[in-house]
Amino acid sequence: MKKIKTGNLPGVVLKYGILILCIVLVLFPIVWLFAGSVKLEKEILQYPPTLFGTKLSWKNFIRIFGTIPMGVYLKNTVIFAGISTLAALLFDSMSGYAFARLRFKGKNLIFIGVLMTMMVPFQVMMIPLFLESHFLGLLNTYAGLILPKMTTAFGIFMMRSYFAALPKELEEAARVDGVSEIGIFFKIMLPLVKPGLMTLGIFHLMNNWNDLLYPLMMTSETRMRTLSAGLALFVGEHATLYYGPQLAGAVVSILPLLVLYIFFQKYFVSSVVSSGIKG
Amino acid sequence: MISKLKEYWYRQDKVAYIFLAPSIVILFMFAFIPLVCSVVISVMNLDIFFSDVRFAGLANFLKAFGDERFWNALKNTVLFAVVEVSLQVVIGLLIANALSGTALFSRMARSVFFVPVVCSMAAIGIVWSLLLDGTIGMIPYFIKEWFGITGLSFFRDSGTAMGTVIAMTVWKNFGYTMSILVVGIQAIPTDYFEAAKIDGASRVQQFFWITIPQLLPSLGFCLITNLIGSLQVFDQVYVTTGGGPQRKTETLVYYIYKIGFTNPFDLGYASAISVLLLIVILAISLPVYFKMFKAEE
Repeated sequence: MKKIKTGNLPGVVLKYGILILCIVLVLFPIVWLFAGSVKLEKEILQYPPTLFGTKLSWKNFIRIFGTIPMGVYLKNTVIFAGISTLAALLFDSMSGYAFARLRFKGKNLIFIGVLMTMMVPFQVMMIPLFLESHFLGLLNTYAGLILPKMTTAFGIFMMRSYFAALPKELEEAARVDGVSEIGIFFKIMLPLVKPGLMTLGIFHLMNNWNDLLYPLMMTSETRMRTLSAGLALFVGEHATLYYGPQLAGAVVSILPLLVLYIFFQKYFVSSVVSSGIKG
Repeated sequence: MISKLKEYWYRQDKVAYIFLAPSIVILFMFAFIPLVCSVVISVMNLDIFFSDVRFAGLANFLKAFGDERFWNALKNTVLFAVVEVSLQVVIGLLIANALSGTALFSRMARSVFFVPVVCSMAAIGIVWSLLLDGTIGMIPYFIKEWFGITGLSFFRDSGTAMGTVIAMTVWKNFGYTMSILVVGIQAIPTDYFEAAKIDGASRVQQFFWITIPQLLPSLGFCLITNLIGSLQVFDQVYVTTGGGPQRKTETLVYYIYKIGFTNPFDLGYASAISVLLLIVILAISLPVYFKMFKAEE
């Protein structure tokens, strides 16, 4: 533990004062959101405003599920983010493994091709992707939402470095023992990169769950919208709802990830740190 | 037949192609083809109804250069990127420096600062829009009570809208920058600081002469990734201001979205602006990617 010198005391007080102020600034809007979501509409509108209401009310949640298809949004988001994430975990690690540990012809050429797609931001290719999905009949379908997200160049790149870090003797011993290449991958190698899988899984889940522009573009029908894209239509610039239900909607959309964050904080941080892609 | 299939599982090169197949097909279909097509569409006259499809040469690009709204969007995007990234990196650095230790307070504070990173922009947009609302918002109320300033309406005032969007983004994302820099600071050998302490260097001197020089690679990484991300800013604008007031917060990607997916549904023109954006982003990001790939080798 650091000893605090008395001469340094004002500096220390200032430092912690500023840090605590920052914590308050970061937490206040979130606490306000949760408190507001269980307030009565008239208490949200009252002046001067208060942080907490006088009584706990679930009306806003009942209203948001009643007036807009929140249940459908929630279901769509779970399907879209869940399946995309699981598929991407499988395909990214299969490819990452091939690039890291298997010998085959054309490896470098294929890898450069993969890296090329990593450098191009999604926003640049969204119009052709939209047209393509239109021609393939994928707009407003789960397949259309999920297919393009089933693998990512970044995930392949990341899993490749996890596999490359494993000792070489592992699969050689297994090969001598007559284990098939598929067996080596699923039974020996994949369990060894579990931290990598967790990190990448959280990365995909968080990005897909929170994505706005992509589902906005791939879906136009209400019944196919995700939480982010669905909510955005009813709030802010496009507000048609009471304030309370908007807050309840925001709570519903962030709560699942916040709960996961509490349990898997380490992986959330490492997924964001290693990717350099912010949500 | 079955024995032949089984043989496959024992051949490295064959298995490699099987392993790669799903990813390669998906990337080819949904990344490579769109990428090539975006260049093709940018030189076409093409709208969503396919009413008058023909080759347009560089007309879409020339149109952009003469389009006041394009220049406005470019100006807003650059303004957003420069201010937001500088603020985020400076704040992230100062907080990372203060919280890089392993004490309980540091760890808890870091957990708190990361919470907004996890939340969706759609939800954050709702919160900030209502908190800052001119009539019922809590923040304008506090400002009035404490500082006596009235009539602020943040997102709805053309003078403050961009600043408010930037502030909201910094609030949401600085935890990301902080996390990267904490990892960087923790990797600096502690001997450096101890030696400096023995030589009588103050905390401030240590910060400028050890922390910052040692942290340059991490700082560069944050700077570039944040810059690339903020040049594509869309979500925060879509959920708060809708590009207004008076197009003061209309950014490039928002403009692309507006032209391509709402009236006039001009896909050719939207693609041309996308290609221009791609050129700017690649100019910034290519050197970083090359460095990253080299470090991997």
